[in-house]
Amino acid sequence: MLKIHYSLESDLQNGITDIAAPEALSIQVRNLVLKTAKRKKVVRGEVIAEHPAKFGGAHHAACAGTVSDVDYHHLAIKCSGEEEGVEPVDVKSLAPGLEMLRALQGLGIDCAVLSSPADILVINGLNPEPGISVVEQLLKDERETLEAGLELARKLIRPEKVILAEAKGDTFSLAGVENRYIKPKYPNSLDALVVRKITGKEFPSDTKVMSVMDLYDLGRVAMTGLPVTDTVMTIGDRNYRVPLGTPIRHILSTLGMEAKSGDTVVLGGSFRGEAVYSLDEGVKKGDHALFAIGSHVFPAVQDATCINCGECVLNCPGRIMPNLISRYAEYEMFEMAEKYGLNSCFECGLCAFSCTARRPLLQYIRFAKAQLKASRQSEQSQGL
Amino acid sequence: MTPPVIKAMSDIAVRLTVSPAPHWRSGRTVRKMMQAHLLALVPAALMSVYMFGFPALTTMALAGAAAVLTEVLCLKLQERDVDVDNFSALYVGLLFAFLLPATAPWWLAVIGAAIAIVFGRTVFGGFGCNPIGAPLVAWALCRMSWPSAMDIDMNLAHFAMNEPLYQLKHFGLQSLSQFDYKELFLGRQLGGLGASQVAGLLVGGVYLLAAKWIRWYIPAAFLLGVVAASSIFWTIDSTVYANPLFHLLTGSTMLGAFFLATDTSSSPVGKLPQLLFGLIAGVMVVVIRVYGMYPDGVPFAIMVASLLSPLLDRVRPKPFGGR
Repeated sequence: MLKIHYSLESDLQNGITDIAAPEALSIQVRNLVLKTAKRKKVVRGEVIAEHPAKFGGAHHAACAGTVSDVDYHHLAIKCSGEEEGVEPVDVKSLAPGLEMLRALQGLGIDCAVLSSPADILVINGLNPEPGISVVEQLLKDERETLEAGLELARKLIRPEKVILAEAKGDTFSLAGVENRYIKPKYPNSLDALVVRKITGKEFPSDTKVMSVMDLYDLGRVAMTGLPVTDTVMTIGDRNYRVPLGTPIRHILSTLGMEAKSGDTVVLGGSFRGEAVYSLDEGVKKGDHALFAIGSHVFPAVQDATCINCGECVLNCPGRIMPNLISRYAEYEMFEMAEKYGLNSCFECGLCAFSCTARRPLLQYIRFAKAQLKASRQSEQSQGL
Repeated sequence: MTPPVIKAMSDIAVRLTVSPAPHWRSGRTVRKMMQAHLLALVPAALMSVYMFGFPALTTMALAGAAAVLTEVLCLKLQERDVDVDNFSALYVGLLFAFLLPATAPWWLAVIGAAIAIVFGRTVFGGFGCNPIGAPLVAWALCRMSWPSAMDIDMNLAHFAMNEPLYQLKHFGLQSLSQFDYKELFLGRQLGGLGASQVAGLLVGGVYLLAAKWIRWYIPAAFLLGVVAASSIFWTIDSTVYANPLFHLLTGSTMLGAFFLATDTSSSPVGKLPQLLFGLIAGVMVVVIRVYGMYPDGVPFAIMVASLLSPLLDRVRPKPFGGR
């Protein structure tokens, strides 16, 4: 029986285990700029797609092989098993600034947070969601890499102070970093709440947050000069290093797990993760957990009317009104949704978690945000 | 309800369920909530049958059945899914019965329960959309339309006791010496068939609080409002006004605090608004009892406060990071 808990504590007995490379990779390329084509050969670490955003990181092949299929959504690579890879880039020797940022972007790092200076840099060292232990695992086993990443981040962000926020009871430390302790209970691990706990301010402009995972990717790039081609994921109660694009089916069969029809298979955490359509879907950058839930564990989400019980409002750490926002989103009145605090939402999911009428509140909020963003972008591009 | 969309993918051997985050949920459902509320009514209902006898049972059964059948009819006419299995209609019918005298005429129970569903809920969009508690709407309509059939003392004349609040209203404070607080607490008083069972309602209310189906904000603020307002009057002149304990133990105060005021759709959603809502309703109870023409002010007090709840919901903190 699954037990719901908010605790972010983890009990780590083991190190990170590698998951063997699969025979084929499936990479999501929706909204990306493709840099390869069907039947082309790629080597390990070769750029296959670039991110259209100004500071978005590129995507790379996690193994050498041939592109076997491309559509608007997916790109499949048949792995050849060859060891051939790209030449490393010595990022550390580059001058901090645009040159270094472009190099990092080319190696798959999202540079938005690194692109401008800030007074305080907060390293979010809390496990992001219940059941995920990646952060503490990395702090425990990969200190050297994290410090290499931090060194690079310091060069780019030039903070006066770097603070590591970690769970009460943890004893991890990084060189030259001040420690602060936070009660390891969801949603305290979310960036906005971590920053408030440390600085006492809500959404301060002089503070930047990096997750331990981002720092780790940065550190690996700094040390090896090779692009990001894998991610560390919590599956069950252990952590695995999984090549990006590995189909979920491959992970499940490697670990002897099974998913039946009707189950929900989720990439990411229990509160904020994303359910996948098919076991053929590949692991993406930023996925740090994988789990499956049977269909009858929780009452299903419903398209029901709000009964105004107020649980979403009373549970909201962002002090917004999800009951009204969801109603406005339902009827496409997105500007009204903004009036009730849409932009203050940091998507913890506690509203939908506690909804008595089982409305998909977080989905409505994300929908409203996406619709507003899209309509504003099109307004801008039309010069209105 | 729309059926789930199944997206065709290459793999059809395993069809996964795709649902939005969060993937863990608290497991609260409307059905479980209403079941808990019905369970919370049981102690008071049993005590009521013990006190008033068989008529209490038939009145509750009639009102409950009429409410459910009316709800089915309304949902059919609106071509909506018939979801009376979430027990919300039954709960409304029973709450209405709790406000009636035990020997109320059968037609009153049936018509009242039907009014609760039609004019209390359906015209506003059904369960969860009513701006005022559905049983209260029905109670008020019946009270205006058939005052003699709703009259507690007249209906229960064969009992050798009196309705405490009628006594206070019409015969003044001296007449209250006939009541013993312990007897009042144990439900040996005349009143609405369930509303008078103070001990049973308290047990049910504490159960709802302990099971976290209701929060303490509204009940506590409501009772505080009653106590505070009645204390003020009592301090002004204790020879004219009844003491706070009397107000707590009579009329529908307990039913109001734990069951009527906590109705989800007609109460505000935030913490501070809920506290204010309870406080206003509680104070209004005593104000109506002292100055109004109705001996028991609870239903009207809660209706007035419910009308304020959209306004009260504007009393809210700035959103996170907001200026």
